[in-house]
Amino acid sequence: MANASFYQSAGFDFSNDVRNQFLQDKGLPLPKATSTGTTIVGCLFKDGIVLGADTRATEGDIVADKNCEKIHYITDNIRCCGAGTAADTEFTTALISSNMELHALSTGRKPRVVTAMTMLKQMLFRYQGHIGAALVLGGVDSTGAHLFTIHPHGSTDKLPYVTMGSGSLAAMAVFESEWRPNMEKNDALRLVTAAISAGIFNDLGSGSNVDACVITATHTEMLRNFVKPNERAVKERNYKFRRGTTAWKMENIRSLVVDETVTLIAPPVGGDAMDTT
Amino acid sequence: MQQLKSGEVNLGTSIMAVQFNGGVVIGADSRTTTGSYIANRVTDKLTHIHDRIYCCRSGSAADTQAVADIVHYYCQMFSQQFGEPPSIKAAAELFQKLCYDNKDQLLAGIIVAGWDKDVGPSVYNIPVGGGLFRQPWAIGGSGSTYVYGYCDATYRENWGRDETVDFVKNTLSLAMSRDGSSGGVIRMCVITEGGVERMFIPGNELPKFWEGKEVLAGFDNLTKKAVVEPEPMAVE
Amino acid sequence: MPGEMAHHPQQRQFNPYSENGGTILAIAGRDFAVIAGDTRQTEGYSIQTRYAPKVFTLTDKAVLAVNGFAADGNMFVKKVKQRLEWYRHAHAKDMPLRAIARLIQTMLYAQRFFPYYVYNILGGIEDDGTGAVYSFDPVGSYEREACRAAGAASSLVQPFLDNQIYFKNQKAAPGSAHPTHLPLSTVIALVTDSFTSATERHIEVGDGLEMYIVLASGSSGQGLEGVKGLRELSTKGEAERVFVIRRDLKKD
Repeated sequence: MANASFYQSAGFDFSNDVRNQFLQDKGLPLPKATSTGTTIVGCLFKDGIVLGADTRATEGDIVADKNCEKIHYITDNIRCCGAGTAADTEFTTALISSNMELHALSTGRKPRVVTAMTMLKQMLFRYQGHIGAALVLGGVDSTGAHLFTIHPHGSTDKLPYVTMGSGSLAAMAVFESEWRPNMEKNDALRLVTAAISAGIFNDLGSGSNVDACVITATHTEMLRNFVKPNERAVKERNYKFRRGTTAWKMENIRSLVVDETVTLIAPPVGGDAMDTT
Repeated sequence: MQQLKSGEVNLGTSIMAVQFNGGVVIGADSRTTTGSYIANRVTDKLTHIHDRIYCCRSGSAADTQAVADIVHYYCQMFSQQFGEPPSIKAAAELFQKLCYDNKDQLLAGIIVAGWDKDVGPSVYNIPVGGGLFRQPWAIGGSGSTYVYGYCDATYRENWGRDETVDFVKNTLSLAMSRDGSSGGVIRMCVITEGGVERMFIPGNELPKFWEGKEVLAGFDNLTKKAVVEPEPMAVE
Repeated sequence: MPGEMAHHPQQRQFNPYSENGGTILAIAGRDFAVIAGDTRQTEGYSIQTRYAPKVFTLTDKAVLAVNGFAADGNMFVKKVKQRLEWYRHAHAKDMPLRAIARLIQTMLYAQRFFPYYVYNILGGIEDDGTGAVYSFDPVGSYEREACRAAGAASSLVQPFLDNQIYFKNQKAAPGSAHPTHLPLSTVIALVTDSFTSATERHIEVGDGLEMYIVLASGSSGQGLEGVKGLRELSTKGEAERVFVIRRDLKKD
């Protein structure tokens, strides 16, 4: 049988599970995963879909990334916003993106949003919520514009305007009061910006900038850092340290170049030759 | 038996299906919740399985969608292989098998209903745990507990289509008004040999029943007078 | 429907405490003290208010910052102020700073088995005219220090202060020594930078900054001129002078 160290099967590797369970029982807590505390939204408009996301990633109370990307590429005409465990949203969307490309190649057709939705829900259902990905999936295909939410356990909803993440309540409040059918592109973009901003300013898990993405039948426009309402304050002092600030106990300078002398040894005259008979 | 996992999306639901002479009427509220948050207020819990077969879903949204998708797939395969639609019984037994065999992993209460050429209209109830019961009418979900008495007292055999539609509409409205995790709009389908007709009752047009006396006085803006004398709730 | 089937044991308990985020900080100079706090009050991922003061003047020369559970903090400040008023009525003078510190210790320890869920930092001017900072734990252990940060972002701010005030991990330039006291302008800049930086990386810190400055009698107040958002709280003729600087912090 092939050894696990040089044969890696496809999919997740559970070989550390027993050890980790043992450590957890001993009272060692699991390492905290980076979570995208997040506000993500999507809304339908006259010609397609607008997706939106904030750009804060957190590890507990601490901001881990002030400008991360939460709108993931699935295909040219389909994008997916991710909330929940950062690693899970990144890998699931990347995997489905890959499978959608293969699917498009083997069918010879332009990919559909329902296809991506079905792949995602079936994968998340198989993992029974252990993959902590909460997604907003949107795109335009041959059957029109579609917008879905996908919960970590694999349930899906199809709605004209959706929000997810810890800021979803703040963002949904904006949608519920201002969304109208058949909006113009700029009105939809403004509404998405307002919804994300509601999350950024009222939900501690969300913050920094607004990312947006407009998808129509003919074109997809990724608006990275569409609005930047939270530029860093200028510092009062500068914190450059004088050369020699750090104390040291010993100095050791060593050359990394290895000097070698090669002495060629001439074969002895009439010495033992290899027996080649 | 399975409990809802934390953060899982719940169909806190009132669902119903009733047989009548020419077909079945199915109906559901439209509320989907995660804890106290309404994740979807216009959910469609009446799920297409085949041309004349629908199901009403209650329990975990993820579980019931997954099960319905599988049965939908098998029914498509069936009609492709045999050139005729599957019977309601066949679809219901598929649901029952999936729900029973995986009862330790699922939280799904499903009502299967529809029309087929052999037995006509039929309603099957598959409660949590994976039983299978053919009934003239079935109710399900958390809201159903409030309206068993109403259904028992009201239901009559040999109703026509319109009476059955009213029965479903009234029952669901009563269930939605008492159950906090049901609400929104009523969606209904009438499934007959001729086709499937969808109906939609908006939240502000639900049938109204007794809702208690006015505790605060109603106020008429024209006459600037209280319409009903306020009557405080009795406190013993 | 799921509730009907709950059969595994569940433990429930009433929890009288909550944690309302935010950070406080105080630095003592030779003849001044700076006591600061942000004004955001949170619960979980929600902002309860963007302006809830955590820093309070007690006397003309004592300022108290409280952080932790806001309801306990407000009640504690109220009770300290009441005790100081009784002292004024009995002795016809303000309580000295070191006495206020000891009073706070006894008040906190009185609640040893149902503590006030707050970290206190007291700053002001001692009777000898020096700037002082006293920091307390929730049950009354306290010490006098040159600087202290407490609250949600204390683990971010305190190491910065150790480096910039105590010059930890910094070797002085040859032939010179680190100063024992920093000038007021430097302290104000360090406090401001502490809070703008904590706001960047801690989700519970932000919205507004309130910085109280207590100057000893006879102090020039050099370093305060031209500071934006500065307001004097003391009336002319008092020995010690109290100022407050208010400025915005990021609101995300």
